[in-house]
Amino acid sequence: MVDLDYLKMSRPRKLLHDLAGFFARLPGRLGNGLKGLALAVGRCLKGLGLSIADLFTTFRDGDWKTRLSYLVMGSGSMARGQWGRGLLFFLFQTVFNLYMVNFGMAYLGKLNTLGVVETYKEGRKTVYGDNSFLILLYGVLTLFFIAAFIYTWRVNIRQNKVSQQILASGGKLKGTKDNLQSLVDSQFHKTLLALPTLGVFVFTILPIFFMILVAFTNFDYNHQPPAKLFTWVGFENFRTLLSSGSASYGDTFRQVLFWTLVWAFFATFLNYFLGMFVAIMINKKGIRLKKMWRTILVMTIAIPQFVSLLYVSKMFAADGLINTYLMKWHWIAQPIPFWTDPGWARFTIILINIWIGIPYLMLIATGILMNIPADLYESARIDGANALQMYGKITLPYMLFVTGPYLLTSFTGNINNFNVIFLLSQGKPMGLAGNAGHTDLLITWLYRMTVTDTNYKIAAVIGIMVFVVLAVINLVVYNLIPSVKNEEDFQ
Amino acid sequence: MASLKLEHVKKVYDKNVVAVHDFNLEIADKEFIVFVGPSGCGKSTTLRMIAGLEDISDGTLTIGDRVVNDVEPKDRDIAMVFQNYALYPHITVYENMAFSLRLRKMDNEEVHRRVCQAAEILGITQYLARKPKNLSGGQRQRVAIGRAIVREPQVFLMDEPLSNLDAKLRNQMRAEIILLRKRIDTTFIYVTHDQTEAMTLGDRIVIMKDGYIQQVGTPQEVFETPKNLFVAGFIGSPQMNFLKAKLVRGAGDYTVELYGIRVPLSAEKCAKLAAKGVGSQDVILGVRPEHTHLAFDDADNTIEGVLRVNEMMGSELHLHVDLADGTSVILRIPTLDLTEERRAGLAYGNRLRFAFPEKVVQLFDPKSEESLLF
Amino acid sequence: MAERKIPEVDIIVDEKAGVIKEVGPQRKLRSKKGHERRTNGAIYTVLTVMSIVWLVPFVFLVLQSFRSYKLEKGGMVDYLLPKTFSLDNYAFLFEGSNFFHWCGRAILVGLACAAATVALVCLAGKLFDRQDRGARPARVGILGACLAAGYALLVALTAALQGFAPAERPVAVLVCLMLFLAIGAIIARVYLKQDSKLLRSIPGYVVEDRHEGAKKLAAMFAEFALLAIILQYILIPMTKSQYLLWYTNTLTIALFTAVLQTAIVLSVSYALSRLRFRGRKLIMNAVLVLGLFPGFLTMITLYFLLKQMGLTQSGAVPGLILIYCASSGMGYYISKGFFDTIPKSLDESARIDGATRFQVFMKIIMPLAKPIVIYTILMAFMAPWGDYVFASYVAFGDQQGYNVAVGLYNWVNTNDFQNYFTRFCAGGVLVALPITALFLALQKYYVEGVTGGAVKG
Repeated sequence: MVDLDYLKMSRPRKLLHDLAGFFARLPGRLGNGLKGLALAVGRCLKGLGLSIADLFTTFRDGDWKTRLSYLVMGSGSMARGQWGRGLLFFLFQTVFNLYMVNFGMAYLGKLNTLGVVETYKEGRKTVYGDNSFLILLYGVLTLFFIAAFIYTWRVNIRQNKVSQQILASGGKLKGTKDNLQSLVDSQFHKTLLALPTLGVFVFTILPIFFMILVAFTNFDYNHQPPAKLFTWVGFENFRTLLSSGSASYGDTFRQVLFWTLVWAFFATFLNYFLGMFVAIMINKKGIRLKKMWRTILVMTIAIPQFVSLLYVSKMFAADGLINTYLMKWHWIAQPIPFWTDPGWARFTIILINIWIGIPYLMLIATGILMNIPADLYESARIDGANALQMYGKITLPYMLFVTGPYLLTSFTGNINNFNVIFLLSQGKPMGLAGNAGHTDLLITWLYRMTVTDTNYKIAAVIGIMVFVVLAVINLVVYNLIPSVKNEEDFQ
Repeated sequence: MASLKLEHVKKVYDKNVVAVHDFNLEIADKEFIVFVGPSGCGKSTTLRMIAGLEDISDGTLTIGDRVVNDVEPKDRDIAMVFQNYALYPHITVYENMAFSLRLRKMDNEEVHRRVCQAAEILGITQYLARKPKNLSGGQRQRVAIGRAIVREPQVFLMDEPLSNLDAKLRNQMRAEIILLRKRIDTTFIYVTHDQTEAMTLGDRIVIMKDGYIQQVGTPQEVFETPKNLFVAGFIGSPQMNFLKAKLVRGAGDYTVELYGIRVPLSAEKCAKLAAKGVGSQDVILGVRPEHTHLAFDDADNTIEGVLRVNEMMGSELHLHVDLADGTSVILRIPTLDLTEERRAGLAYGNRLRFAFPEKVVQLFDPKSEESLLF
Repeated sequence: MAERKIPEVDIIVDEKAGVIKEVGPQRKLRSKKGHERRTNGAIYTVLTVMSIVWLVPFVFLVLQSFRSYKLEKGGMVDYLLPKTFSLDNYAFLFEGSNFFHWCGRAILVGLACAAATVALVCLAGKLFDRQDRGARPARVGILGACLAAGYALLVALTAALQGFAPAERPVAVLVCLMLFLAIGAIIARVYLKQDSKLLRSIPGYVVEDRHEGAKKLAAMFAEFALLAIILQYILIPMTKSQYLLWYTNTLTIALFTAVLQTAIVLSVSYALSRLRFRGRKLIMNAVLVLGLFPGFLTMITLYFLLKQMGLTQSGAVPGLILIYCASSGMGYYISKGFFDTIPKSLDESARIDGATRFQVFMKIIMPLAKPIVIYTILMAFMAPWGDYVFASYVAFGDQQGYNVAVGLYNWVNTNDFQNYFTRFCAGGVLVALPITALFLALQKYYVEGVTGGAVKG
C-alpha cells in the first residue's frame, strides 16, 4: 500500500520524499558501516586468538617432529621425508636469522630515536654518525621481514599439523614432485601472484608505510641525512597543515583542496556530458564519415601528452600564438593573462582538459550507446516521446547507471591528475604560502614539496590527506548510493 | 565403465548455506541415472561434485573402487556435457573434440580415428572443419556430446544438455540420446528439471528438492507409487490433482470420503494402511488427470463441478473444473470417447460430473506430506 | 460527399477546388525530412568545428617544426607559417650537418631494400594457401626464410654504403633502415589485411582473419625492437645526438615494459578472475585501498631503493622498467573484467578434458582474451613515452638516463626556451608519429578495453 501511495505522488513530492528518506536512513547506514567494521575487527581478533590457541594445541598433540619444527623450521617436514619443502623452510629461517643478527637488530634498536650520533667534521674529514633515513627505511623493512617470518613460521607449524594428521589416518604425504606439479594446477594462483605481490610489497606497500611514518618526523631540508638527523615529532606536521590563520600551510591546504575538488568536479562531469553529447552526434543515424570524426578526435589520446600539452601550453602563453594573433588582428590590446591570472589559469586548464578528455568519454559513450536495446527507443517513439525526452528518459539514465562506477574512478583519477596541471601550468601562478600556486592540485603541490622543496614531512602529510579525501569520497559513494539498488533495471 | 557410490555426501557453501544434505546413492555400472528436481534443488551441485568441479564438504564419493574426493577432475576419468555446451570458440569442431586426447598426448592416428568415429555416430562429419559459432544449437549440442564420447570415459555426466534447445529439437535430441546410450554402453548421470526427459531417459530417477533426495526409483515406480506429495506433484503432466478427503477406518477395511462420495479401498491398500497402523484421519487424496473419466448418467459416487476452462489438445481435452469448495481439478478426457453432443455440452459454466477408479488413488498425510501407501 | 476524409492516409479531397489536398503523414514526413536535414547540418557544422579545434594544435606543431632555428627565431614568433621551410630542427636532432645530403643517396639504397622486401613478401603470400591446412610449419619456415633473405640483402646493401664517407655512414644506415622498416610495415599491414587488392590478385592467397590483430602487433613489435637495437648499437655510438639517446632509452623502456607488464597484469587478472583461493577478496580490497594513495608519495623511497641497486641516473633505464612493472599488478581491473565475461564452463570443461589450470590459461583463456592482451600491451607500451615525473626523478639530472619526455620538457622549460622551442616541436613530431600510428592501427582494441573497463568499473 505504501508503494502505491508513493507511486501516486507528483515528481517534486517524490524527490522530496526520496531525499527525506535518504537522510533518515543516513545514520543507520553509517551505523551499519561502523558495525560491519567493528565486526570485521572482532573477527580478526577472534581469528588471531584461535590461531594462537591452535599453536598450543598443536604443540601439545604434536610428536617430536612437530615440536622440533617450533624451533627449527622445516625439520618436521624433512623428518617426514618432504625434503624439498623442509629445506625451503630451513633456508628461509637461516636467511632470516642471519639478517636479523647482522643487520636488522641494529636498525630495529635505533627505530625509536631514529639515531642520536650526529655527523661532524674532524678537520677535513667528515665522520658520519647515524643516518635517520636508513634507520627508518631498514627499520620498516625489518618489521616487514619479521611479519613475513612469523607468517612463514605459522605456515610451517600448520603444515606439520596437517602432515601428522594425514600420517595418523594412514594417508601418504605428497612428494616434492607432486608439490611442484600442483603449482601449475591447484596452487596455480601462487605461481601467478608470487612475483606481482612481491613487486607490490617492495615498491608500493613498503614505501607507503615508510612515508606514513615520515609524516610523523621532522624530515625536511633542515634535517637531511646523512649530514643531519631527523626524529619523531608526533602530530606536529598534521597540526601545521591543518592550522588555521591566513598565509599559513593550513590556509594553503584549504585553498588547494578546494581547487582540487572543483577541478575534479569539472574535469569529470564536463567531459562526461560533452563527451556523451559528441558521441550521440557522431552515432546519430544518417551522419556519414563516423570513423573519420572519431579518428580525428582520438588524436589527442594517441599523441603523448607531454608533446600535445606542452605545445598547447606554449600556444596560450603571453607571447604565444593565440595572444599574438589576437593582438595582430587588434581584437585585444593586451595579451590575455592565460597563465598569469589565477582565474584565467584555472579556466584555461579546464578548457584544455576538455580537449584532452572528450575523446576518451566519446569512445566509452559510443560503446555503451551501441548496447542500449533499440526496442527501448522504438517503444518510446510509439509512446510519443521526442528526441529530448528519449534522451532524458532512456539514454541518460542508462548511461549513468552503466557508468556509475566509472564516474567514481574518473573523479578519483582527476583528483590525482598530475599530467594536465603539471604540463600546462606547473601550478602557476604562484603566490600561496608553502610554495603553492593557484592552479596546484594536492598532488602537484606534493610533487613540488618532494622534488623542489625537499620538505618530505609535509609531502607525506599531504599524501595522507589525499588518501583520506579519496577514502571518504569512495566510502560515501559506495555505502550511501549503492547501485545494487537498481541493479536489474536495465538488464 | 564403473559403478559410483555416494555416501553421506554433503555440500555446504560459505555462510553455512547447505546445498546438498546427506546424499546416499549407489549407481550400478552402465546404469542411466537421472537427477531431476526444480531449480535450486541441489541436483547440479551433486553432479558437479561428482565431476570434481565443487569440493565435497563431507562424505565420500567412490568411482569404481577408488575414493575420489580429492582427485582433480582430470584424473577422475569422467566426461561432462554442459548446459551451454562450453565449446571452445577459437578452435574448430575437430580440435574441440580432439582437445582432451591431445592433452593426454595421444597418438595422432588414434586421435583422428576416435574423432572421426564419434563424428560418424553423431552425424557431424561434415562440420568438423567449422568453428562452433558457425553451427546451429543442435549441432553444437552434438559436438559437445562428441567431445565427451571420444574420451571413452568411465562415467558420462550431462548437465541439462537439452534445456537450451527449442521444443522440437529437444524431442529429437532426446531420442538420439536414447540411441546413443545403446551404442556406447557406459554409466550415465543426467541432470534435468524436465520430468518428461527424466521419465523417458532414466533407468532410475533421483528426485530431489531443497538438497534432499525425495525418492529414488524406476520411472514406473515413481509414477505409480510416489513417496510423498512433492514427488506425486512433480512427476506427471498436468500435475496430479489433490483433493481433501477423510479416511475412515472400519472393521478391517478403510474407506475414503470426499465431496459426498465414498471410495472403499482395495484389500491390498487396506493391508498397507493397517500395517502402518493408520486410523481415521484427514488425508489428501491424489488422482492423476488422465485417470479420471466423465460420468454422464448421474451414476453414484461421482463428484460434481463447474467447468471453467476447456483446453482442446487434439487427441484429448484438458478440463479445468471447480469443485464445490473452490478446489480446482484438471481432467484429461480422450476425445475419441466423446460424442459430438457430449462435447458440445462441455462449455464454460456448465456443470459436469466425474469419477475415478479406486486403483489409481494415492493417499497422503496432510501434515507429513508422506504417502500413506508407500 | 462534399469532403471526404480517408482516415488511413489522411487525404482530404476538396471538391470545390477539384484537387486533392494532402495532409497528414505525407506532409509530416516531408517536414520531418527537413527537420532531419537541418539537424544533420547542425551536427556536421559542430563536428567540423571540433575537428578543426582538435587538429589545429597538431598542424601548428608540425608547421613550427619546419621553422629553422638558425634562419629565423627558434622561440615564440608572431606568425604561424615559417618564412622558409627548413629541416634544420630535424637535422639538429640527429646532430649532423650533411643530413640531407646523405638522405638522397641512402634513399636509393633503402628503396632497393624495400623492393626486395615487396617481392619476398608477395612470394610468401602466394605460399599461404588456406586449402592446405596442415602446412603451417612449412609456411612459417618460408616466411622466416624470406625475412632472413631480406635482411641479408639489407646487410649486403649497407656494406655497399662504403661509398659514403665514414662520418656519413650512420645516418645513411638510419635512413635505409627507416625506409626499409616503413615499407616493410606497410607491406606487412597490407599483407595482413585480408581483402587487400594487391594480395587478392595473387592466386590462392587468403589469410585467416582471427590472427590479424596479433600479427599486426607482432609485426610492429618486431619493427620497434629492431629499431631500438639499431639505434642502440649502431647509431648512438656513431653520433653525439642526445635526442637519439633519449629516444632509444624510451623505446627500450617501452618495449620491456610492454612485455613484462602484460605478463604481470594478465597473471594477476587471471588469478583473481578464474581461480578461487583464500585471500582473494583480501588482495582485491588491499589493492583498492593502496590505489587511493597518490603515486608520487613514494617517490623518494623508490629513488632510494633504486639507488641501492645502482639503477638511478645513468642506470635509469632498467630502474624505470622496474618501477613501471613492479606494481603494475595493481592495474588488473580492465583485464579481469574481460576475463569475467568468458564463460566459466569453458574452464570447467577443459579441466574435465584433462587440462591443468596452467593449460587452461594458455590454451583456452589466452586465445579468447586476445583483444585485451593487445590492449594491455598497447597501454604498457604507450605509457613510458609520456612519463615525466618518475623518469626525471630517477634520472636525476643525468642526461644519459633521460627519456624523451624529460629531455624535451627540459628544452622548453629550463633551457634556452627562445632557441629550443622549434627543436622541441621537431622532437615532438618524431615521437608522436610512431606512437600515433601504432595507436590508430590498434584503435579497435583500445576502444574495446576502455569501454569494457568503464562499464564494469
